[in-house]
Amino acid sequence: SGNTQTDQNKIDYSNPKEYEIADIEVKGLETLNKSALISLSGLKVGDRIKLPGEKISSAIKKLWKHGIIGNVSINVDKVEDGKVWLVIELTERPRLTRINITGVSKSQQKELKEDVSLVRGRVLTDAIKKNTELAVKKYFVNKGFLNTKVVLTQEKDTLVANGVKVNVKVDKGHKVHINEIYFSGVEDLDESTLKRKMKKTKEKVRVRIFEDMARGLLSINSKELKTFFSESYEADWKQIKKYINDNVKLNFFNASKFVGKEYENDKDALIAFYNHKGYRDAAIVKDTVYLDKNENVIIDIEIYEGRKYFFRDIKWVGNFVYSDEQLDRVLGVEKGDVYDLELINKKLQFNPTDQDISGLYMDNGYLASRIEPVEVRVEGDSIDVEMRIYEGKQFTINNVVVRGNDRTNDHVIYRELRTRPGDLFSRNQIIRTQRELSQLGYFDPEQITPNVNPNMNDNTVEIEWDVVERPSDQIELSGGWGGSFGFIGTLGLTFNNFSLRNILNKEAWHPLPTGDGQKLSVRAQANGVQYQSYSMSFQEPWLGGKKPQSFSVSGTYSIQRGYNPTTARYDAGSLIMKGFSVGLGKRIKWPDDYFTLSHSISYYQYVLNEFVADYRLGFNNGISNNFSYNIALSRNSIDQPMYPRAGSQFTIGLTLTPPYSLFNDKDYASLDPEDRYNKVEFYKVLFDLKQYQKVVGNLVLEAKAHFGFIGNYKATTPIGPFERFVMGGSGLAGQSYIIGYDVISLRGYEDASILPRESDPKDPSNYIEGGTSFVKFGAELRYPLSLSPTATIYVLGFLEGGNNWANIKEFNTFDLYKSAGFGARIFMPAFGLIGIDWGYGFDTLPGRTSPSGSQFHFTIGQQFK
Amino acid sequence: CASKFRQLQKSSDIQEKLAGALEYYDNEKYYKAATLLEEILPVLRGAEESEQVLFKLAYAYYYQKQYTLAGHYFNRFYETYTRSPLAEEALYMYAYSKYLESPRHSLDQSSTEEAIVVMQSFINKFPQSEKKEEASKIISELQKKLEKKYYEVAKQYYKLDRYKASMAAVDHFHKGFPDSKYNEELSFYKLKSAYNYATESFFAKKKERLDEAVKFYENFIDKYPESKYLKEAENLYGMILVELEEVNEQQVKINEYKAKQEKLKKEAEEKAEQEQSQEESTPETEEKESE
Repeated sequence: SGNTQTDQNKIDYSNPKEYEIADIEVKGLETLNKSALISLSGLKVGDRIKLPGEKISSAIKKLWKHGIIGNVSINVDKVEDGKVWLVIELTERPRLTRINITGVSKSQQKELKEDVSLVRGRVLTDAIKKNTELAVKKYFVNKGFLNTKVVLTQEKDTLVANGVKVNVKVDKGHKVHINEIYFSGVEDLDESTLKRKMKKTKEKVRVRIFEDMARGLLSINSKELKTFFSESYEADWKQIKKYINDNVKLNFFNASKFVGKEYENDKDALIAFYNHKGYRDAAIVKDTVYLDKNENVIIDIEIYEGRKYFFRDIKWVGNFVYSDEQLDRVLGVEKGDVYDLELINKKLQFNPTDQDISGLYMDNGYLASRIEPVEVRVEGDSIDVEMRIYEGKQFTINNVVVRGNDRTNDHVIYRELRTRPGDLFSRNQIIRTQRELSQLGYFDPEQITPNVNPNMNDNTVEIEWDVVERPSDQIELSGGWGGSFGFIGTLGLTFNNFSLRNILNKEAWHPLPTGDGQKLSVRAQANGVQYQSYSMSFQEPWLGGKKPQSFSVSGTYSIQRGYNPTTARYDAGSLIMKGFSVGLGKRIKWPDDYFTLSHSISYYQYVLNEFVADYRLGFNNGISNNFSYNIALSRNSIDQPMYPRAGSQFTIGLTLTPPYSLFNDKDYASLDPEDRYNKVEFYKVLFDLKQYQKVVGNLVLEAKAHFGFIGNYKATTPIGPFERFVMGGSGLAGQSYIIGYDVISLRGYEDASILPRESDPKDPSNYIEGGTSFVKFGAELRYPLSLSPTATIYVLGFLEGGNNWANIKEFNTFDLYKSAGFGARIFMPAFGLIGIDWGYGFDTLPGRTSPSGSQFHFTIGQQFK
Repeated sequence: CASKFRQLQKSSDIQEKLAGALEYYDNEKYYKAATLLEEILPVLRGAEESEQVLFKLAYAYYYQKQYTLAGHYFNRFYETYTRSPLAEEALYMYAYSKYLESPRHSLDQSSTEEAIVVMQSFINKFPQSEKKEEASKIISELQKKLEKKYYEVAKQYYKLDRYKASMAAVDHFHKGFPDSKYNEELSFYKLKSAYNYATESFFAKKKERLDEAVKFYENFIDKYPESKYLKEAENLYGMILVELEEVNEQQVKINEYKAKQEKLKKEAEEKAEQEQSQEESTPETEEKESE
């Protein structure tokens, strides 16, 4: 190599010269291939390169980039006649072949392997080893195992040359709980409130009050006994609270493990809370975390509270668009208010519940506006604040783009966008658009991102909506117990993003034509011979593409056969229902723009052929025609369809049949039932209300009320047997197994058990079953276990009550069948909503001797009533 | 056969695995070939065979119509083995995979835009390539697709009666696609939007917006004197003129009313002044009378 030295000296470093590569030699190879390495370097025999030059350093970089070699250098072996002989000297690194984690559970092993991202076959570097060790340790520390020890060893793997096995030995130690948190220096605020503000750092459960009392009693001597009885001193509420807090800790829902990162966050939260209360100078002077004799954590926190401050003068600087008075009104802070910078920032920057200053500007095109509160003077406990505003120019939207829609067509998305070219930029419109796009149901709501790209030169802004599609189609394949029908199988398909115009386009079928935002559902339901039902519906939400008015058509065919005990077959007649309906719905802007008005016309025909039903219809033979018009007004302001936390939903609907009896002189009471019900006439009013409210965190209260009434135009015209109300049980949304009824659920009672009778005016032995008026109230508390878009799961507890009457005269909102219970719901995009409830019915049904009692209910799909 | 595949998957003999993978590849069993090649690739890195493995892997995905993955591997091949004789093909196939990935115009066109960029860089890097002509053809096809997309978007604003947005979107389209065949039609929509926008405006803004619509009309007929929308546009112009006339008439009335009010105000002021001056002179008389 002395030779190399001298030859190298021939290269003049100050004067680069071009050479032709005569040969490339590689030294230090074990498993790697020579020619492959040379090709990775980008150098080639015959190439002309400058020496010294960047080709060499770029070759080294290229070799390094792959991470398979340790040291590499490229040397010149010799130079002759303008030719150069190169030598690549390198050391190879060992490759990881297997990972072996010990001392942890199987599931943790699996999670860890994903967490530490050790890829087999990769070259093992020191950094990777150290990172692995740290990652494993962090994983357990975050679970409260503060004393976790991780030892990483490597051994040669004989199976593969240059391979190493890595053994990760984990010693978790024991889980560290927080026994107590002691504060010092806390005078003005409440210790228990402070503890509550520490969200993730919680004390262990303890109930010491009895222990304390017992100890007190045992150690009472006669002297103390006297004081015990004779002296009473006034304990103020704070003292009582402190006593309770010291001796009782009911903390079943929060883990009391100690996690360093969370503790740091909670300390910040403490100070933030102090600041919020006007203690602007509050600080944690000292805090100690140590272990008690049981190796549990004790935390001492010493707080300096400082004094409480108040606002004095608030001055606006730099505002030209809005006056001081306008800004003051939005800010809503007055002289003498507690000094709370957090509140100020909320009112300046973003206030989710009310107006904010920034919104004033941001909704009016002032995209570049900035507001900064500056304390200009502190005197005693008073602070003067100057709000420095930079307003900037108004920005106009020049272009709007949508990205990420790989299934949904542009026009379906663009028609929902409230950010439009030519308009001034508005933050509020961005927020509303985000909400509306997520309500379409085609995109993952968490990933709808508005990218705002302003151009400072011409004060324009481009808005790019990034979306991520998610499956929106639903398959329902279910079997359920349908009362007297026994097992009923259902196959339902709902395509929420269908494209009707592409139905003949072969290329669009993968697996179905999609992207036009239309809804198509097909469903079949049967339990063999006794009951079969087929239905199909199609909906276009923007008929004509100009206005958001929905157009829908649906058709249905159902047959139900009666059971004949003598033949033991279902040949005791049949009831066939067929019909279709056409509807038009429209979003309306008055009284506000959450309203929808819809109309529909439908025709149903019921054909009875020697039919004896489970529920008495009042006749067995004949045809009944039901032609009706329906109008419904609804308002929907819920924030999210799957797990609503706020908003309400209401519908008021009216269904009318033509008033035949007003134009003929028939005496209905004297007619035979088949003639009487040939042209059914009635009017029906339905009212539904649901309201959602956050109780605490994600705990939501749903309150609902439902009411329905069927009436006749003329007192002498009877209300037909169809379209009546049946109450009780799960109500199996939208899939009444009993043809021609409106099914209302009432948990805690058997399916369809609340079923009043109305006797036939002509033949007292004959009667019709089914109510003509009902009412139902309910309250439900819900708590989510998972809110991920792949599966929404929540548990619920409910109280409800309802009743169903054959005659409106009996209607009484205090005479209800009441129940309570709990249950769970799971929603997965592909399967829809599935639920189970247990309910207890407190009241006794007519004809029974004991209360309804314990009942289980299964539900499929969203419950409406 | 499946068991043979399993065995190969489990095998730790790289050469055996590779041979098996190549056999699957030759027999057009691309799924199995790709699965094995994917497993071999990280272990083989730096070995001689890895060039071939990467190239075949890209094609194995390409034949399975998995164009995203195919594109990814063709690109990786091109970047790793820039000097390879296969580099030209790899770059072309990278662009071509992007081209095949490009969806219908009404969906996200990110891959269309990428395909155009990559195709262009292919033409720049390999100007002698025999694929050059095809590459140019693809570029222009993709550009037409983008054109169609933004044409539809601009048109939709008009359909939705969002006239201001429609005008802004047409302007933006003109800028992006100055030579587009859609420009004439869109200009006509812009004119219609301008007219509707003006007629639906408050009176205070009406004149200004109608004047603007007149300007659009003049530009339109200058630019497209033979337009098939000429008749319709002219009708629209007539309607604009009628509106303008009405606005003017109303303005005259308003002016008259204003003048009248002004005059009344002035008279009242004068009267008040007179009375005041009278008052100034009267107190003496009043005083006199009271005395």
